[in-house]
Amino acid sequence: MAITDVPAFVRADGPDKVTGSGRYTADINLTGQLAAKFLYAGVSRGRITKLDVEAARALPGVFAVLTDADVPDVRYSYGLADRTLFARDEVRFEGEVVAAVAAIDEATATAALDAIVYEVDELPPVLDLEEAIADGAPQVHADIDSYEVTGDTPHWGNVATHSTIEMGDAEAALAKADHVITGRYISDASHASPIEPRAVIAQWEGSRVTIWTSTQVPFDARNGVCETLELPASQVRIIGPHIGGGFGGKCGVHFEPHIAALARAAKRPVKLVFSRWEEFVAPDRRREAMLIDVTTGVMNNGTIVARTGTLLLDNGAYMADSSFFPQAAAMHLIGPYAIENVQMDGKLIYTNHQPSGSVRAPTAPQGCWAVESHTDEVASAIGMDPVEFRLKNIVKTGGVGPAGQTYDEIGLDQCLTLATESAGWGQALPENEGLGVSIGWWPSFAESAGAYAKMHGDGSVQVITGAAECGTGSVMTLRMLAADELGIAEESVELIYQDTGAAPAGPGASGSMTLFNHGRAVENAAREVAKQLKELAAAELEASPDDIVLSDGNASVAGTPTKAVPIAELAAASETGEILGNGTAEVREWPELKGSSCGGEQGFSSFLAPQFSCHVARVRVDPGTGVARVLEVHAAHDSGTIINPMAAHGQVEGGILMGVGQALTEGTRYDEEGRQQNAGLLEYKLQTIADAPTVTTQFVEIYTENAGPRGAKGLAEAPNVATCGAISNAITAATGARVKQLPMTGERVWTALDEQGQS
Amino acid sequence: MTLTIATSLDQVLAGLAAGARPIAGGTDLVVGARQRKASMPETLVAIDRLEELAQIDADKTHTSIGSGVTHARLMTNEVVVNNFTAIADAAALVGSPATRNVGTLGGNVMNGSPAMDTGAPLVVLGAVVELASVEGNRTLSLDELWMGPGTTSARSHELCTALVIPNPEERSGSAYVRLEYRRAMEIAVVGAAANIVLDGDGSVASARVALTAVAPTIVEVEGLDDLAGLSPTEAATRAEAASAEQATPISDLRASDRYRRHTIGVMARRAVDAAARRAAGEEIAVPVNRALGIGAS
Repeated sequence: MAITDVPAFVRADGPDKVTGSGRYTADINLTGQLAAKFLYAGVSRGRITKLDVEAARALPGVFAVLTDADVPDVRYSYGLADRTLFARDEVRFEGEVVAAVAAIDEATATAALDAIVYEVDELPPVLDLEEAIADGAPQVHADIDSYEVTGDTPHWGNVATHSTIEMGDAEAALAKADHVITGRYISDASHASPIEPRAVIAQWEGSRVTIWTSTQVPFDARNGVCETLELPASQVRIIGPHIGGGFGGKCGVHFEPHIAALARAAKRPVKLVFSRWEEFVAPDRRREAMLIDVTTGVMNNGTIVARTGTLLLDNGAYMADSSFFPQAAAMHLIGPYAIENVQMDGKLIYTNHQPSGSVRAPTAPQGCWAVESHTDEVASAIGMDPVEFRLKNIVKTGGVGPAGQTYDEIGLDQCLTLATESAGWGQALPENEGLGVSIGWWPSFAESAGAYAKMHGDGSVQVITGAAECGTGSVMTLRMLAADELGIAEESVELIYQDTGAAPAGPGASGSMTLFNHGRAVENAAREVAKQLKELAAAELEASPDDIVLSDGNASVAGTPTKAVPIAELAAASETGEILGNGTAEVREWPELKGSSCGGEQGFSSFLAPQFSCHVARVRVDPGTGVARVLEVHAAHDSGTIINPMAAHGQVEGGILMGVGQALTEGTRYDEEGRQQNAGLLEYKLQTIADAPTVTTQFVEIYTENAGPRGAKGLAEAPNVATCGAISNAITAATGARVKQLPMTGERVWTALDEQGQS
Repeated sequence: MTLTIATSLDQVLAGLAAGARPIAGGTDLVVGARQRKASMPETLVAIDRLEELAQIDADKTHTSIGSGVTHARLMTNEVVVNNFTAIADAAALVGSPATRNVGTLGGNVMNGSPAMDTGAPLVVLGAVVELASVEGNRTLSLDELWMGPGTTSARSHELCTALVIPNPEERSGSAYVRLEYRRAMEIAVVGAAANIVLDGDGSVASARVALTAVAPTIVEVEGLDDLAGLSPTEAATRAEAASAEQATPISDLRASDRYRRHTIGVMARRAVDAAARRAAGEEIAVPVNRALGIGAS
């Protein structure tokens, strides 16, 4: 479907954002508000020898100065509870918060930071992944054995967790393979880089605190505040104003507890607004660096018989939500291939870098880039076309996947065919241009969610949901779902969202779960209202409720459209003048696995409602400089039923542009002490809209059981998986050179060209 | 901080003499202050509303481009595009539409960055800078103006009022190209400008080449006199070698010195090639980077 065929439906938040009338967290100001600033560690690893805040507290205009000594003694993080709100005894990355101040204005807050006596004995930082697990390496967390453990999280030394996936006998299969191809791939760390640096405001009234914050996950943020400040959920309300992008970077609890604690101590509202530098260095949501080794055994006829791999992932200093990363990365390093013999070993490594955490499709772009680059090398080794080679080896409907999951109807083969046809695979291209293909996959996630629906006496509806809108399209799609259930116009449905004081809990904008889980809750809430409407209409029209049809704002009797009553009249005449509905999304069941064994199980070895994609990139490389430009990306996605085509196209186009950045220009650089060198938007180069390739998107729509509304799967993260791999293979097609480090910068491409003597 | 919106040049010069700093588009000043490179001056005098600084005037021998002319005008003005095309090439690559609409030629020149885009074109076109102050006016060559990264020989009470450029010779053409990693909001990794005059037989009569971001200031490539008589292709090859040899690049986040030394040669070759093609009458749209697909273009 071309985007021009999509019916226009204005996003509810669109006019606000386009005209500037929308309010983001930083736009909010409260009476008596103070400015917050943080004192950061400044060094990557060191022991705090002195931390004296008395002089800072004594400054006129300073209302509160907090350190670890001033907040509850709580260690948090899923997997290993390795973290405290403020540094305790030791600092482990440059952006770790050591102290926080609240002062009458920013200048006074800055003066207060300067007045804090903070002395630290620097220690040699742990920065290199292989050195970190070598004998005698300094330990990032010397007390790791004392930390509380959740889930299947094996850990020792600097290994934060370790996951394995094994099926068949990979070693034996490799020994019998006609060809064995091995490659090493390195991915630099990168960032979510939302255009809105995060902001938080907290205000206490008595024992209750309201926190306005840039968060994708209001309930996770609330739970984090409750855990770290030891408060009951009833006393903490999180409100999310408009969000200026998240991309995973605003998941989890971040600085809401710090600001709530400051506001309580200061007895005034306190506001934090991050600078761009802070947005780069302080959050625990960096996209992790990886060191990947992968080996594939293949027969002359093109059958992949075995794949093995080891992955070292840079966890940074603390866990955030990263405990599933090694297993997720391992699944992406296998890829959606039906391989009978698999052996993967992934380790999440503590270092003194900024903590890693979920950024859109965590671990997938890097793992996919590595295995898809490698897969082209395998195809090349046996002289087979990369598309033909993939079609021969991919997972298909009814087949068994690499960890022993049997698939229902899936459309990866159709994705491959559609995307390559769209790109004109095999056509002759101008000099210095190339086409590259890549396939990817991504799971949907099983969590519960709730929703309320309220029809007013005028027939308009409020849907109250725990969903969040950071570009997910919930402001469109959730309204569509409710409107369709109720037979009313989408414009008659208003969404109340991003407020834990109003909505039932849910995962928010994380894990591509808005439609998948929140959507089902909204449908069920609307159905409850619809049921009551039908009963009221049945009484009015003297028919059975089962025969009542809701459409175009009317309730009518099936087959007798003249027997009808406006829905608004029914609502107005109801007992309370409004009709209430309450919906829950049941937790979907994870598919079972057969024949594999998985150590460090983190829920990523089987893929619920798996989403598949194929991207084909057309790239031109400037031969004199090695700089690549992506001209076109042809995408085909199996995300099940597509409910809102406009939002679906937007997700794919945005995911691809983010992928182009990761592929070519976005990479964090560190100095020898582990500090970020390019923590700003001039030197950390995001793609601009002027760089956007022409994106052509097709959807393979397969109704999927055990999935989201109407057989839909997720689609927020899937478009961010396959792009880097496609660009990698296109660069090789254009130049003959292979770049084995992300991002594939001009200099790296030129170096690869230089090494093969073509430059 | 006090900001005076000047309505006359005399008011500006008096303000500068009293210690104020000038602000036009503010695209370097404000961004630099926000990035804590330098604090905002306490007293500012805004020069952006002075019509007399925003003129492009030509007489029989020279063209004067006012310091307040924006990049957006430079890239579209007929005189600049036809006669001093390299400046239009450069202006079209600066920042974003928003930057180009407020950023000015004078600001770019006086900021003194070795990565400035309009600098190398001005050098190869033989521009001089006019400075005014309460003490009078003076003219400096660009070589005399730029002292190092971010420093000029202009005194703090002097204002750049215009860049004055000799009108082009017959059968001449100029071009500016740069290495960039993306197509907007970018800064030159390296860049090169060329001004080529051809003889009637199509061979090179004279050639000037200047380089961006490979030395503490914009630098002109020396020893190109012997390019006279060569074909443009031979001249481009010679310019490539001379540029790579004379560059003194550093390694930083944007590129290694080795990569810069290689790519500055490539940029010089392409600049000479494009300038010679323009000198021969070929239309190559502004900016050359986009027309020829250089770097991320």
